[in-house]
Amino acid sequence: MSVIIIVGTAKGGFVFRSNDRRSWQIEGPFFKGWKITAVTRASDGTFLIGAASDVYGAAIHTSRDLKDWRQVPQGPAYPKESERELTQFWKLVAHDGVYYAGVSEAGLFRSEDHGESWQPLPGLNDHETRKAWVPGAGGLCAHSVLVDHANPKRLWCGISAVGVFRSDDGGATWHPKNDGVPVILEDKEFSEIGFCVHALAQDPDNADVIYRQDHRGMFRTKNGGDNWERIETGLPSGFGFPLVLDRGTKTLYAAPLESDEYRLPIEGKFQIFRSRNGGDAWEPLTNGLPQEHAYVSVLRGAMDADHLTPCGVYAGTTSGDVYISNNGGDDWSALPYRLPRVQCVAAFVEG
Amino acid sequence: MASVTIRLPSALAVVMEGTLQFSIEAQTLRDALDEITRHHPKLALHLFNEEGIFRPHVLCFLNERNTRWLDDLDVPLNKGDTLRFMQAVSGG
Repeated sequence: MSVIIIVGTAKGGFVFRSNDRRSWQIEGPFFKGWKITAVTRASDGTFLIGAASDVYGAAIHTSRDLKDWRQVPQGPAYPKESERELTQFWKLVAHDGVYYAGVSEAGLFRSEDHGESWQPLPGLNDHETRKAWVPGAGGLCAHSVLVDHANPKRLWCGISAVGVFRSDDGGATWHPKNDGVPVILEDKEFSEIGFCVHALAQDPDNADVIYRQDHRGMFRTKNGGDNWERIETGLPSGFGFPLVLDRGTKTLYAAPLESDEYRLPIEGKFQIFRSRNGGDAWEPLTNGLPQEHAYVSVLRGAMDADHLTPCGVYAGTTSGDVYISNNGGDDWSALPYRLPRVQCVAAFVEG
Repeated sequence: MASVTIRLPSALAVVMEGTLQFSIEAQTLRDALDEITRHHPKLALHLFNEEGIFRPHVLCFLNERNTRWLDDLDVPLNKGDTLRFMQAVSGG
């Protein structure tokens, strides 16, 4: 059994391979100069990445071997009349041959032909509240997409500074689901939006249980988003971006930061926090992570787990380090490389 | 119809699966850009924005002339002309 980590950075992608999760072989950069912002792998083994350039725009590329890449022929795109610009892919999800892409400017696209062509989901992209959507600090981005594996017609999408939406009809209609979460930007007309979700993680066995790293704190729902409750016991701050769930143990991992004003590790200590009881309590993980004058952070897509036993956890930082734990977060070590700013991290198991 | 050489910056090699130079047949500059859009839509996505105009930092030179300075795109092309796409030097 081997593990592949794909690290997307501001200047290209890198692949790390290991058979023992102790020694790693680096490959890359691929897509040199391009921002690699989202990665996933379909059930047939095909990798999908979102690559973006400030000059040349954004596209989805696919590969079977992480060496030969091919841009999909009819990727997600906004029509001219929309007056929207597709600048980046924030989330790629593949479920049973159906793929989803969350993008900025905020929108959701779907492919039902293995990524060859993509269609917008107008029920969300042209939602009645759209005119009141306002970008957050990271832009107006649809960065989180969840699919109920037991009922794929149930979907969730998280949009920064707008909120979480749920569809119960396969993406035809969408409804804001933010009750219990404090608003950050209240709209005069649409009180159901203005919530700044940062990341979502879903229980693999019960899609109603979703964890939410929000601008205003850490939250959990047990009813698919109808109500949210705060779960911050043990966290030094409710603010942060990435949120990862190990499918095997349902352990959660987060990387809290000091307030939206500073967005720095608290007291210069780079810590990952772990919850082994569904968010009821959190504990800091520090062994092997820099605890003095460490002023780096982990972007929302830059942490992942491999779901092995014990779980491997992988976190890429804004200063280009990649920290790895092969024992569920108890101990960490940095790969001996200094990469560009890490945009996304994705772990895959082979064999 | 004139055979025109299209040359691309190396950053677009990932889009064209390694091909950075190819030829097209076109009568005018406008025809040439339409040909690229028609026959190379994956490339066109990176040259033109949603409105179908050049992305702000994409430059297109017809031989030595910056096409942005042309009054219009109905410029006749001659055999052996080169359309060179470049990334604008910008920022600091």
